[in-house]
Amino acid sequence: MSSLAFRSLRSGSALKSSIRSLSTTSSVLSSYKHPDYTTYLNNKSDDASRNLTYFMVGSMGLLSAAGAKSTVEAFLSSMAASADVLAMAKVEVKLGAIPEGKNVIIKWQGKPVFIRHRTADEIEEANNVNIKTLRDPQNDADRVQKPEWLVMLGICTHLGCVPIGEAGDFGGWFCPCHGSHYDISGRIRRGPAPLNLEIPAYDFTDDETLLVG
Amino acid sequence: MSFITQFFQRNSIYVATIFGGAFAFQTFFDVTVTKWYENHNKGKLWKDVKVKFLEGAGEEEDDE
Repeated sequence: MSSLAFRSLRSGSALKSSIRSLSTTSSVLSSYKHPDYTTYLNNKSDDASRNLTYFMVGSMGLLSAAGAKSTVEAFLSSMAASADVLAMAKVEVKLGAIPEGKNVIIKWQGKPVFIRHRTADEIEEANNVNIKTLRDPQNDADRVQKPEWLVMLGICTHLGCVPIGEAGDFGGWFCPCHGSHYDISGRIRRGPAPLNLEIPAYDFTDDETLLVG
Repeated sequence: MSFITQFFQRNSIYVATIFGGAFAFQTFFDVTVTKWYENHNKGKLWKDVKVKFLEGAGEEEDDE
């Protein structure tokens, strides 16, 4: 049945162009019996085939996207800090144990951190400084979250010694290595150090607890 | 089938569906594999033996 249709199509086109019919086929001339290919043909409609193709392509894309996402996630998470590092990264301090006018030095990530419970006089003293005369001008309010608690990194900004508390000409800290004087807000006032004592990231989790880090 | 062909009509919807599906698939895959793994190793996981080990440590040694 199909070969019959084939034959009629052939003869129709042969009329239009004899050269074309010669070049494209020999079946017109030959008596060769073609096998029946109908069982091998795709009998689905164009829409059905296209939908299947799109579905397969889409599924492949979905799996690839999920795989790519996991790969990127794994790579990024490999750069994140590990649990032991995170456990050491924060230090909790109970503030109730520190009386007014006293210094406490704690160790945080291998570095000393000074915590001073300042008196009202000291806060006033720190605020009364004309910051235009300072080497590293900074308001006291910008260096503390609560005025009574001064938290800063105990490393001299000159060459990294640990300054001594309640010493020096300005009632704050004094670095014995090269004679830098810091005031009661940890600002550099005299000596070779170029910058004020650094303030670490910290937070008051409640009234009694300080979390450094 | 016509439900699925809705997604092929516009390329923007097609691509958005693929990316959205990737997120959903990842969660589904994660949950399924974890569930299978925990079921396969039931009785050997830390959460299963934790009670036994912690009890034993409490009785025998008091380091901490």
